[in-house]
Amino acid sequence: MDRPGTTAKFVGARVRRVEDPRLLTGRATFVDDVRMPNALALAFVRSPYAHARIVSIETEAARSAPGVRAVLTSPEVEKLIPPLRMEHRSSFPAPPCRSVEWPVLARGKARFVGEAVVAVVAADRALAEDGAAAVEIEWEELEPAVDPERARESGAPLVHEEWPDNVFQKVEFAAGDIEAAFSGADLVVSERFRTGRHMALPMEGRGIVASFDPASGMLTVWASTQMPHVLRAEIARVLGCAENSVRVIATDVGGGFGLKSHVFPEELLAAALARELGRPVEWIEDRREHLIASQHAKDQIVRGELAVARDGTILGLRAHITCDIGAYTEYPWRTFEANVTAMAMPGPYKIPAYAYTTVSVATNKCSIGAYRGVGQPIGVFVMERLIDIAAGRLGIDRVAMRLDNMIPRHEHPYTTITGDQIESGSHRECLQKAVAMMADDRPLQASGAVRRGVGFASYIEMTAPSAMVWQTLGPPGSGSEPAMVRMETDGSVTVALGTNSQGQSHETVFAQVAADVLGLDPANVRVIQGDTAATPRGWFAGGSRVAVVSGGAVIRAAQKVRDKILRAASRMTELPAAELDIRGGAICRASDGAPLAELRDIAEAVWIGRAGLPTEEDQSLEFIARYEPPPMTHSNACHAAEVEVDMDTGIVKVVRYAVVEDCGTILNPMIVDGQIQGGVAQGVGSALYEEVVYDENGQILTGTLMDYMPPTAPDVPRVEIAHIETPSPFTVGGIKGMGEGGAIAPPAAIANAVADALRDLSPRVTQIPLTPERVLAIIEGKSR
Amino acid sequence: MSTPGFHQRIRFSINGRIVEREVPVRQTLADFIRDALGLTATRLGCEHGVCGACTVIVDGASVRACLMLAVQADGAEVRTVEGLAQDDELSPLQKAFLDHHALQCGFCTSGFLMTATDLAAHGAGSNETEIREALSGNLCRCTGYANLVDAIAAVLKEQAAKRE
Amino acid sequence: MKPPNFLYARPDTLEDALRLLSEHGTGAKLLAGGQSLVPMLNLRMAEPKLLIDMNRVAELSGIERENGKLRIGALTRHRALETSREAAQAEPMIARAAREIGHLAIRNRGTIGGSIAHADPSAEWPLLAVALDARVELRSTARTRTVAAREFFTGPFTTAAGADEILTAVEFPCAPQQSGFGFQELCRRPGDFAIVAAAGRVRMRDGRCIGATLAIGGADATPRHIAEIDRIVAGSRGEDAVVREAAAAAARVLDPSGDIHASAEYRRKMAAVLVTRALREAFASVAANS
Repeated sequence: MDRPGTTAKFVGARVRRVEDPRLLTGRATFVDDVRMPNALALAFVRSPYAHARIVSIETEAARSAPGVRAVLTSPEVEKLIPPLRMEHRSSFPAPPCRSVEWPVLARGKARFVGEAVVAVVAADRALAEDGAAAVEIEWEELEPAVDPERARESGAPLVHEEWPDNVFQKVEFAAGDIEAAFSGADLVVSERFRTGRHMALPMEGRGIVASFDPASGMLTVWASTQMPHVLRAEIARVLGCAENSVRVIATDVGGGFGLKSHVFPEELLAAALARELGRPVEWIEDRREHLIASQHAKDQIVRGELAVARDGTILGLRAHITCDIGAYTEYPWRTFEANVTAMAMPGPYKIPAYAYTTVSVATNKCSIGAYRGVGQPIGVFVMERLIDIAAGRLGIDRVAMRLDNMIPRHEHPYTTITGDQIESGSHRECLQKAVAMMADDRPLQASGAVRRGVGFASYIEMTAPSAMVWQTLGPPGSGSEPAMVRMETDGSVTVALGTNSQGQSHETVFAQVAADVLGLDPANVRVIQGDTAATPRGWFAGGSRVAVVSGGAVIRAAQKVRDKILRAASRMTELPAAELDIRGGAICRASDGAPLAELRDIAEAVWIGRAGLPTEEDQSLEFIARYEPPPMTHSNACHAAEVEVDMDTGIVKVVRYAVVEDCGTILNPMIVDGQIQGGVAQGVGSALYEEVVYDENGQILTGTLMDYMPPTAPDVPRVEIAHIETPSPFTVGGIKGMGEGGAIAPPAAIANAVADALRDLSPRVTQIPLTPERVLAIIEGKSR
Repeated sequence: MSTPGFHQRIRFSINGRIVEREVPVRQTLADFIRDALGLTATRLGCEHGVCGACTVIVDGASVRACLMLAVQADGAEVRTVEGLAQDDELSPLQKAFLDHHALQCGFCTSGFLMTATDLAAHGAGSNETEIREALSGNLCRCTGYANLVDAIAAVLKEQAAKRE
Repeated sequence: MKPPNFLYARPDTLEDALRLLSEHGTGAKLLAGGQSLVPMLNLRMAEPKLLIDMNRVAELSGIERENGKLRIGALTRHRALETSREAAQAEPMIARAAREIGHLAIRNRGTIGGSIAHADPSAEWPLLAVALDARVELRSTARTRTVAAREFFTGPFTTAAGADEILTAVEFPCAPQQSGFGFQELCRRPGDFAIVAAAGRVRMRDGRCIGATLAIGGADATPRHIAEIDRIVAGSRGEDAVVREAAAAAARVLDPSGDIHASAEYRRKMAAVLVTRALREAFASVAANS
């Protein structure tokens, strides 16, 4: 707590989390903890087929089942809400993308296993499921489009019949003299890479509780979301009501990782039904729904080609990316997965010529959407594999090749081949430090039953995109966020954010940030988030943007409060404001820290108009500031993995893992390290364990957590973490985003380590996850 | 033996309090604890016995509350996270979780706390490999487990030191 | 994901349970530890009319050693077998196998009888029962019979038990003197169902094997005892060539099927690898014991 005159700084300190006590004692409020009297539960009948025409739906038995209040099919639902429609906005600088209608309930035909077809509302979830089980649907199976490469050929079954083919979007880009780069190269490395279909898999699934008050016309919605304000706007839009008559509350959210930065048909339907039925309606997704019908991610085939000179200098890069989007594009963002992969590929390297094509293909599968890093883990996987392969073929050191091609510190700000401006960074330093951390005396075993190998992967993490960047990618996104900072009459401080947390510790971190500006202990700052009625209008938590954007906004708003407090104190102490400071919660003399006045006395004086401030000035200590950072903010890092490969079984174990990262100003190292460790765990999952599997009929085979396998405690290495701090010269506070970084490089680092362990076998390590069976095939030389 | 039915009256103790209710026999213990008793610390993460978020202690042993029917708890002694803190004072495990930043979103936390409670009650050692194995039935998607392992190891170590 | 409606009965005696079962026939399901059945109920993949909860039938729990046999009541929990001194003394492979089952909370609740009756081809107890030539005791209102585990499993999740029978106990032979065991599992994550598992025991006299038994789980429709391996190993000193021959025999005899965790081909290969590892472990453990 405050001690007058003390100058403790909290940004950069390991401040413990204020979120924890409620979470540890079971007093948190996740959406399923919201208890509304008289609430109805929603459940769905979902398509058992990947692609099938709905011949008839028999709902009579369901309607008369005990406890069932309503049964709805597509025609009834479309009277309440229109299909979700993702228009291409020609005013945006984005490449065109075919618009698609996503019906809330399947209309005419189902396009993936798990698509919602019939909605059943009943007194509780068990009864709603009983009702759903009583629905009978007659189906006529259609041939599905399953393989994305075959799906884009002519004659493939059409996911959307009104289109001539299954291509959502095709983007072509070229810069530099690509032909010369490749024709003049001493070596061209060309490989086909395949990345698994993964899932964000937050431990809390999706969910919504909606309650309509006819007296006020207010619809209140509790939701498990990363974007309360966007969800509110979307609900208002589809219900045709004013945005100011919808309130979205997301108190505690059990993980998001990108999946909850979307708006889903089920959520909108629950909101509509609450208004229609005049009773609260809740939809709490179960894990099976989550696995088959929420949102998948990644799933790309990349043909990558690297042109290099004999000394290892990179001359050019080419990529052809096919992305399996599934049936619909993520709402309300359209799609940008493949284009982010392409943008990420050059990484920290100087690439004189680059050409890429991305093709986003519709298939009869669950849609893909944002998951930690979006396409970045794939871009980094491809690039870092290509470099290792090239170095191996040239017989040069893979670390040296990286160092030689990296953007040196002094060339920042550096404009990349894709036009991205990298403001600052420590690419070489991170790699060198990672190499040093992995160095030890043990010989790397390249023979025997268990082999060891080490792999490195460097990357630039694209964070905090501006509106221009979002809109270039397609989404109607904003780059700014607001923060409200208010000093109360007793000197305590309230901060309200436009973003909300899904575990990223915003309540703690932004209290630290505000506390430093205002000279307080963070214990005197309370952070409000996740309630559209109590926070300024913001956008969302995603793209590793909150630390940068909300952070900048908090600093700016807090500075306004500070300036005003000091001006008021100046009047009251009759000392110039420049000679005053706030320290330890008191007004002090800046020169020696001598306490001059209680903060509460000054604050109260301002609020009651007795601080002597000009009368035309607002007599308050409440400010809202918005902050939009420069076009993009970039962290950088190097990951290093050491693996053991069991040569008999193909089982890969990660035995050591090091991360050296640079996210500029570190707000709270405990939380930054936690994000890195957690991100790496997800990356280990992508690299070794996790894969959504569909069979050739489009049937999903990973419908339980016995089949979709996130890593558990014994599977995840303890990450050794080191930091280099190169603040951004462009952002407020020098902050760079870092939330996704941990998950970006593990597939690349682990794949490189596996290839290193098997190096005398000319291994083709080109596909993740590296399941034991795939690794054994590599060992046996049977990989493809 | 009672005759087969769809409902049954049960009486059991939860966090030291005796409750007596009629329950639908198909209701899982997890749903009963959350919905009928309003003790929402016990969380539903998968409802098919994989994620461990709903772990509670029944008669001294950790079990998955989604894989037990409420009616089966008749006569049992059940403990949930709500029973860990005494008079708002965090238990040693809860405090260690806070000190070690062992949680982020907090959704899986209750399950980890109850699994760790079982370990602590049965005198498990603080060997990292063994702790990791013992936690392998609980999924966490945020933390990457290292801080969870450290928090639990610290408590087990302290406990072992006290025993000596 | 909520269970469908069913009736529930909780008999206190085996007699009552048997009577309920005979009255309700195939519409009834026995609930033991529930670690496989309840997920299926929650997913509505099982929809019994009546659930007969066996957990209060006290006479089905317990571990007894008698006449060179270890009799384990069907309701004995995995965790009890993992920590039982009596079981460990009689057959140390029991504790070893128990430790590999699922996770702590699963082992606290799951039962050996439930697991054997469920007959998952990659589960630990069916494998161990087959490997060690255990016998399964079945009771109906009319009779009690015992069946060799090697005949009890008839396919994936199917057994020789009749619809009116309750599995009441499993009887393992106690481990012979001068013998060693090998128990090997191949899992992607600890606690997962094994992709392939192997369990075996060798008896030695004067450095030579005088009897061997080995079974493989997860690589066929049921856990398979491979008699050919017993013959190959008998008389040997556990030389590399013998182990290799045994591994080759396993790969030849088994008829695995593929699923998303592993193809049939991979399982076949891994069966050979695990036979090798299990036999090496078994021979090494005799050497270590003597």
